[in-house]
Amino acid sequence: MSVVIETKGLSKIYESSFRGQDVHALTDLDLTIKPGEIFAYLGPNGSGKTTTIKMLLGLIFPTKGSIEILGLKDIASAKVRKNIGYLPEGAYYPDFLRGEEILRFYGQLYGLGGKKLETRISEVLEEVGMTHARKRLLRGYSKGMRQRIGLAQALISDPQILILDEPTTGLDPIARKEMRDILARLRDQGKTLMISSHELLEVELISDRVGILYQGKLQKLGTIDELLTDRDLSIEVESASEEVLSTLSEKGITAEDRAGGKLTLRVASTLNSYDALTLCKEHQLNLISVAPRRETLEELFVRTVGEAQDRSKA
Amino acid sequence: MSAAVDYLRGPWHIAVFTWREGIRKKTLVGFLLLSLFVIFGSFFMSSFLNQTTGSGQIETEIDTKLIKDICVATISIFGMLITIFISASVVPNEVENKVIYTVLSKPVRRMQYLLGKFVGIQMIVLANLMLMTLLFLIAIYIRQGEFPKLLLWSALLTYFEFLVVSAFTFAISCSASSAVLPTIGGLFIYLTGNLTEYLKDVSNRSEGTELADVTIGRIADGLYYILPNLQKFSIKTEILGLSSGAPLPPEVAEQIPNLIAYGLAYAVSGYVIAYWIFRRKEL
Repeated sequence: MSVVIETKGLSKIYESSFRGQDVHALTDLDLTIKPGEIFAYLGPNGSGKTTTIKMLLGLIFPTKGSIEILGLKDIASAKVRKNIGYLPEGAYYPDFLRGEEILRFYGQLYGLGGKKLETRISEVLEEVGMTHARKRLLRGYSKGMRQRIGLAQALISDPQILILDEPTTGLDPIARKEMRDILARLRDQGKTLMISSHELLEVELISDRVGILYQGKLQKLGTIDELLTDRDLSIEVESASEEVLSTLSEKGITAEDRAGGKLTLRVASTLNSYDALTLCKEHQLNLISVAPRRETLEELFVRTVGEAQDRSKA
Repeated sequence: MSAAVDYLRGPWHIAVFTWREGIRKKTLVGFLLLSLFVIFGSFFMSSFLNQTTGSGQIETEIDTKLIKDICVATISIFGMLITIFISASVVPNEVENKVIYTVLSKPVRRMQYLLGKFVGIQMIVLANLMLMTLLFLIAIYIRQGEFPKLLLWSALLTYFEFLVVSAFTFAISCSASSAVLPTIGGLFIYLTGNLTEYLKDVSNRSEGTELADVTIGRIADGLYYILPNLQKFSIKTEILGLSSGAPLPPEVAEQIPNLIAYGLAYAVSGYVIAYWIFRRKEL
């Protein structure tokens, strides 16, 4: 199968009551997610990410358009549901239950039982690094542990597809790194991951393809390499006066960061490296380092959203 | 057969989960403790009266009646509050804390989910009623020295009365985003369900030709036929009035199966309405 999730012209309009304005939460979304990839679904709050995910899960219904999952149009069928694991953002799990009990409950909903279920519980707890806390009540779990147990419930049926809504939000750096490692391992096992996130650095590190959504419309779609094509130069110098910086700015060299007595300059891609270095020399700047630099996902995201905002204003 | 068992397996797990979560709700536990306190208190109150008025046969009957009256009122009021509270809150709470997303994204149909929730609610309501009835039985047993079997019939009818209110409160809760509206709706059903005979009176009296009279009469008539008539269950208090050793009178015994069927019919209607509301609900 070349595609695991496919949407065509998927749209969602929330009709307002009492003659208010309808909300176009999603407009004509054409999206394909391929097997074994990590697809990052990005967008500011209210851009339509969760609406898309909810439609994929059958929690809300499209106004128009179609969804196919694993080649099936009946997305509520047991075959589809058994192959989807979902981790919602900020979900609550009853804290009177133990880690293994909550997994037993979700496993039973998949029709699992007996020794098979107990084995699977042990496997997923091992997978998410929670074996040590399997008998502990959820009320004693940290936020990171709760997120991991949430991921474990999504994995309990060993699904082909995982849909994760903000899996790293609110986690400390260590927990975030651990979650990232788990997700990368799942991808290596051949699972397809769709991740909706605001943590752009995390996403850039693990995702294969990215879709950026704004005001319900898909603005950008492609692999990280396809999207982050803008390359420029980063020059680190000791210091520079405001007057010099102003002159350099007119020529395409802008001050980006100032820390620890060092100044980082960013050279626009329109200016070639030789000319940039010559300009620095002319202004007697003490060079510390010169390095090629690729646009980050965060910069692409901000630029894409900014452009979309400008278009909608125009 | 196997398909039916498979189909019901999911709802059963959801029901058990609902039960385990429900019995830990602080409000519910509070209501239950308060009702048990009142039931237990009625026994002590009657003991106190016994000491002050003597211990003849008449006094014992008065004591027993006092215990019965207090216990019946307590079970009716607190049992109904627990029923309404739990029926109104289970689904909206799951939507609010997003547990519903994790459940409905599994191979669980909305009909199965609702069935599981409804059965779970009934398990909670039944457990509370059984606990209160047990204490009531113990209080009467200690006072009379014999096991009041007729009380069990009364408790059974009380449950079916709760079932009717629970089903409609549950249906309202499936359209609501919080427990407030279904709680008010449940109280409304309970109150109007006990006033339906008055609705018939209103309907019969509005025989004028004025548009307002006709309209009011028709609304009252419509409500009379739509709303459950909870007054039908009032024979449970008649049963309590019988002496403990007496057999169930035939006219009362005849009504019990009809009332059970009546309660079940309304419960099924409530569940069907709940599903009809919930099947296309955007979560």
